[in-house]
Amino acid sequence: MFSKDSKLDKFKDAETIIGASIKVKGNFQGQGDIVVEGTLEGSLKTDSSIFIGDQAKIIANIESKDCIVNGEIHGNLKIKNYLAIGATAKIYGDIQYNELSIEKGGIVSGQLSVIDDHKKMEKNKDEKKESSSEI
Amino acid sequence: MHVYIYDDYLDKGRYNKTINRIEIRLTDLGLNGKIIRLGGIKNIKGTIQNEIKLGAKTIVAVGNNQTVNKIISAIIDTDIYSDFQKKTLLGIIPIGDDNSIAESFGIKNEKDACNILLARRIEKIDLGRAGNYYFLNNATIQSQGSVIDINNFSIESAEKGEIKIVNLLNSKHDDLRSNPHDGLLDIYIRTKKRDETYLTAKKIILKNSNPDIKLLIDGVMELDTPIELGIIKNHINIIVGKERLFE
Repeated sequence: MFSKDSKLDKFKDAETIIGASIKVKGNFQGQGDIVVEGTLEGSLKTDSSIFIGDQAKIIANIESKDCIVNGEIHGNLKIKNYLAIGATAKIYGDIQYNELSIEKGGIVSGQLSVIDDHKKMEKNKDEKKESSSEI
Repeated sequence: MHVYIYDDYLDKGRYNKTINRIEIRLTDLGLNGKIIRLGGIKNIKGTIQNEIKLGAKTIVAVGNNQTVNKIISAIIDTDIYSDFQKKTLLGIIPIGDDNSIAESFGIKNEKDACNILLARRIEKIDLGRAGNYYFLNNATIQSQGSVIDINNFSIESAEKGEIKIVNLLNSKHDDLRSNPHDGLLDIYIRTKKRDETYLTAKKIILKNSNPDIKLLIDGVMELDTPIELGIIKNHINIIVGKERLFE
């Protein structure tokens, strides 16, 4: 799951790549895949995937579909689908995810919780049933 | 009617043979037209605009990147532009150095250019804008000390290297992505430490606190910062070759 090549293959055509010597400040929002190897302060959001390299330092809340973390993050993560935490990752913040894997050596300091879409769906179903029975 | 705009540097004797060859070839192909030599003209904009008013079907830049930029600057953002976009095409016959724009359009040399003019393969492409100036290929600036503002965020690099803002690739050897039809500037930052940054934007503001650091557009014109850069989608009709560097 954590072979380096397979992780990076998907990001070869990333919409945005932030190099190791780059500093980004502000609210960074995209629609495609994002690779961060440098420093980012503010917030980071995309509808697709984020790859955070081992040299990256991020002081920001992160929201995405999938996320692979190998660097340092100070902020909360909301990953709607799959979050992979690598051996060199350091995350200081709360994490919401749907599926999770943590490699040996990865550090997480914060609360972990599952984004419970199933519960929401069941609740919605129940509400629909109730409203139809009232009619 | 074809109107050929000869840049002033072509007045030098060493280009005589090349010019003669081109003129013979154009006559053979039935593409001969009016020749305007910029060397003797003070009001370049007015002259080019007048030719479009008189019904020029094709304006051909005979020269280099600077010649193309002079013609574009004479047309864009003027009253004549809507006429130009509806009725007139831009062609290029490259002569001498600094001809990356022609290379982007698959025009390798003057002989090639004449055949391409005859084939009349047309592409509508985006035009980059830097302040009050325009560029087809790219704008470049030193990365160290430069800051790029895009919407709600800014990007800066502490390392030495180059920021390249690309509309249209100028060499098939460039390992860059670019699409001159997508209405986006492709921004590359490559540092001497070999790390690479890539992103796209419709509009950016570029700053550098050192006034000696200038933005260079299409390799021919230096501009001061801070400067706003943007892109105008599908803004110019150009005659291109089969081997152009874009789809």
